[in-house]
Amino acid sequence: MRKTGIIIAREYITRVTRPVFWIATLLAPLGFLLLIVASVIISSYDNESTHVALADESGLFDDYFKQYGLADAADGSVHFHVLERERIPEVETLLKSNGDNKKYQAIIRIPPNYRLENPENPVISCQYAERIGLDKKQFITDRISEMVKRRRMLASNISEEQQAMLNREVEVVFESLMDKNERKGYDAAAAIVGLLMAMAIYISIFFYGTMIMKGVQEEKTNRIIEVLISSVKPFQLMIGKIIGVGAVGLTQFVLWIVLIFLINLMVAPLLGVTIANNSSMASGAGGDVDTDAAEILLRNLALLPYGQIIVLFPLYFLGGFFLYGSLFAALGAAMGEDGDQQSLMIPISLPIIISVFIAMNVMKNPDSSLGFWGSLIPFTSPVVMGALLPFRLPWWHIALSLALLIGGFLLTTYIAARVYRTAILMYGKKISFKELMRWAVAGR
Amino acid sequence: MHHLSLRHISKKYHNHLAADNISFEVPQGQIFGLLGPNGAGKTTLIRMITRILFPDSGEILLSGEPLCDNHTRRIGYMPEERGLYKKMRVYDHLIYLARLKGLSRRDAAVQTEHWLQKFDITTWQHKRIEELSKGMSQKVQFIATVLHKPDLLILDEPFSGLDPINSQLIEAEIRALSKQGCTIIFSTHRLEQVEEICSDIVLINRGKVILQGNVKTLKQQFKENIFEIYFTGTLVPQATEGLHIVTHDPGRIVVKWEANTGSNQLLRRFLDADVQVYQFRELLPTIQELFIKQVKQHEV
Repeated sequence: MRKTGIIIAREYITRVTRPVFWIATLLAPLGFLLLIVASVIISSYDNESTHVALADESGLFDDYFKQYGLADAADGSVHFHVLERERIPEVETLLKSNGDNKKYQAIIRIPPNYRLENPENPVISCQYAERIGLDKKQFITDRISEMVKRRRMLASNISEEQQAMLNREVEVVFESLMDKNERKGYDAAAAIVGLLMAMAIYISIFFYGTMIMKGVQEEKTNRIIEVLISSVKPFQLMIGKIIGVGAVGLTQFVLWIVLIFLINLMVAPLLGVTIANNSSMASGAGGDVDTDAAEILLRNLALLPYGQIIVLFPLYFLGGFFLYGSLFAALGAAMGEDGDQQSLMIPISLPIIISVFIAMNVMKNPDSSLGFWGSLIPFTSPVVMGALLPFRLPWWHIALSLALLIGGFLLTTYIAARVYRTAILMYGKKISFKELMRWAVAGR
Repeated sequence: MHHLSLRHISKKYHNHLAADNISFEVPQGQIFGLLGPNGAGKTTLIRMITRILFPDSGEILLSGEPLCDNHTRRIGYMPEERGLYKKMRVYDHLIYLARLKGLSRRDAAVQTEHWLQKFDITTWQHKRIEELSKGMSQKVQFIATVLHKPDLLILDEPFSGLDPINSQLIEAEIRALSKQGCTIIFSTHRLEQVEEICSDIVLINRGKVILQGNVKTLKQQFKENIFEIYFTGTLVPQATEGLHIVTHDPGRIVVKWEANTGSNQLLRRFLDADVQVYQFRELLPTIQELFIKQVKQHEV
């Protein structure tokens, strides 16, 4: 036990005293911020405007255009231009010519024989000279459908008031019978927090798991391993390394929380906004749609079961870390000295990646059977439970999941230790997956 | 009393018998040679003595007690393939390894300082291992092995990769430790060193003991009664009558004295032959010759 303590201390101190640890710790939040900014920029990229000419050869919409016009996309991605009838051939020729610098990228044609009342209308075609993205196609379809629909209503002599009434949206209010807190917008708030927790567990399993793996590999490559295990048991060495790296991870997390808190403290007065008074401002302002959504989100964020989250998140975090940590240690021992045989990583990486997919699904369908089983199987439960924790769960579900996780962790550690102690002394030959399995089962 | 006893040790790997009913004794305070060709099973044996591996059957006794975890503190081991943590500083590294052997922080510090001074390397105690030259890190490696004052020291190819100066330094230390009562198991394939250093040996081949005993006794046991005589003058043929001549150069002859009725009788034949004998000695087999012969014999 004392020796394990000495090993933990070394693993911890050597990592924490390296400048690279502090650089990574300080820069990671910045990197995370950059990642978010970059993802927003990338996802909103390709919002170059598409100019669509609208050729109404039927003449059905002349009055309509005069009265209502045709609204462009709010984000400026699509602009409509209603063509006078005599300009249609000219624009068509222009579009079909392969020249650059076109004024329009597409043309919508309402054919001369178009009839509002006829259900077997020829379709309205849109021909493009530059490819139109999926989102823009959807937007154009919606706008044109809306236009035809309103025109049909006008043709049926339905008044503006009646139209407004017909168009009024119906809201279905969902309320949970299990949890009175789960009301409008709860899912969204839970999904955001769930995603953050699932991702935090996923990333740390990989990040610190790899750290353990590299550490073990270093001992093998350095050839210090034989000296070490003539003094301590391989199991002590392995578990000492896992706990030491785990402590490094916890330190990093605590530092990040402190850092984020400090940044919030420093930056908030400059901007005049903090999350807390954002909500009071929002409720005061009312009206505006964006503020409404923000208010609903903040109100729901406050309703999440924080007791459950605070108690269980660290348990699943540690459970996942230890479960995979021991497997990564065994892998590090089995890997060649030059760190080849990355393929051995697949059997370990696969369940972690699958658990992320399950977690994504769980955010949309918290009560799905996929989520249920995913939250019980120890290989996926840490990440899946990360996504499920913002929803109140029955106690037996949590108890069963935790019991299985602890059982799974003990099992993987036991198996990993058997593989580790054999593999760590193997030099100069490639270790096959078959051999790993034999060591895991037979112990040698 | 025997310091270390191996009794009927067997160890099987997946499809290979690395140790086959091996028994030998290592006398207290001796430098003991563990010899054998590559792949003979030396490293497996050493790993079992250092409790890195465990025998399938048989037992290992240290000072008469079955080997257990508490004994790791009494054993120092320098493997053939050795290394250190590159990023650690010399002083911290030595303290760490000593503490893993069970020394208190204070004792570890005292011993570390003692050895750093002894090897005159206190100036680089705060350097990282990766900054050291190969010779320097070999010194650190040796210190790490002996730091916790083991009474059984196992050195696997201790001189491999060592420069002549460090070789000499380490050899002197090995002898000094032996004088202080430390038992040393010395595994090597450089057999000329065995003759200089070891008092007893065991020879292993293909997982089996094929020869063991005291170096001097073994040489006597396997001697072939070959004598080398240096002389001046011309040798009359009668002098070598009935002798098997191995080589005959001007002034030097090597003969096999089958009758072996004492070396004096042989010497007398040469003295009587009217030549000036200025050197006469029996050629005993070297350990290397014994080694090769025994290995070949067992392979047939």
